[in-house]
Amino acid sequence: MTVKNFINELQKSERVEGELLRTIFVSLIASFATFGLLYYTRLQNIENFIPQYGYFIFFSILSYVLVMPAIRQVRAFKKFPCMTGMMIGMTIGMMSGMMLGFFVGAVSGMFWGSVFGMGVGIVLGVWKGRCCGVMGVMEGMMAGFMGGLMGAMTAVMMYNDHLKAAGLILFVVCGAILIGLNYMLYTETKHEERQFSEGDFTTIILSVLFTAITIWMIVFGPKSPLFA
Amino acid sequence: MEIKKTTIYMWGTLLLIAFGGYLMMAGSGDGVTGNVVAGAGSGEVREFTLGMKNYNYYPDSITVKAGQPVKISLDKTAQGCFRDFTIRDLGVRKYLQKTSDFVEFTPTKKGTYTFACSMGMGYGKLIVK
Repeated sequence: MTVKNFINELQKSERVEGELLRTIFVSLIASFATFGLLYYTRLQNIENFIPQYGYFIFFSILSYVLVMPAIRQVRAFKKFPCMTGMMIGMTIGMMSGMMLGFFVGAVSGMFWGSVFGMGVGIVLGVWKGRCCGVMGVMEGMMAGFMGGLMGAMTAVMMYNDHLKAAGLILFVVCGAILIGLNYMLYTETKHEERQFSEGDFTTIILSVLFTAITIWMIVFGPKSPLFA
Repeated sequence: MEIKKTTIYMWGTLLLIAFGGYLMMAGSGDGVTGNVVAGAGSGEVREFTLGMKNYNYYPDSITVKAGQPVKISLDKTAQGCFRDFTIRDLGVRKYLQKTSDFVEFTPTKKGTYTFACSMGMGYGKLIVK
């Protein structure tokens, strides 16, 4: 059974699937280390920092952590058929855009949440969608654009309702979809040879960079009038 | 007994999430406490009736004194989600279905609070001096 095979592959080291758990672990350490460094150098002086921003920063970090394994999987094979590439661009673009749009939109408002969510979604969607050419690029761009807008809009509309519970539900659903993408990539590539091997450098750099930018945006970034 | 690397990564990840979540979410509540917050302040009650103009609350800025009870109702021009009135930072939220419905509360701390409809489509400022 393919799901069982996929789970078995997660525990072996020959294929890229065997590196997915390590990627999550490394990304978490890099992101938390970045947060810890920023917290002890600057953020701890901000009044009410943890109650106000802690939840949203925590889930933003986890969002990036969930995207990292898919990035590694795509990089390992470089080229994919059009349909697969479109799914990659769409899933990565929309899920990252929606999650980041939601968590930034929840503290910065609809406009800035949308802009940030769209930015992250389009960048990641286009970058990963490139594996199948222009179709994947366009799909990644469209998905990132839509996901960013939808995430921020949902956050603002939930603002006076159960905002944090909605954030958790959104995160769980997006997480399940991203794990689904990992599985899909496994089924598409299980008979193919890996094209590219890499260490954890890219994962660390991306985690640090995205975490730092997101924290800056959430804490010091511009805010819409509703949140000013 | 040999422990697999993947087992270490998995438990390490779960521990990191649990530990990080505990540290980063300490003391973060939802903020909204429910319906009307009854005021027990002193002095005359300041009454405001808000309407809707240019797709926003009108007036969109009201000024009151700290410790003075405030009563807010909506006239019939406020439609849709605008009737679900909230002041998140003061724990005020009520669906003001009719023009006779109101919220009453007493802001005790000076500052500027945002009032808004439940979906954030309309908003304004409550200035407490």
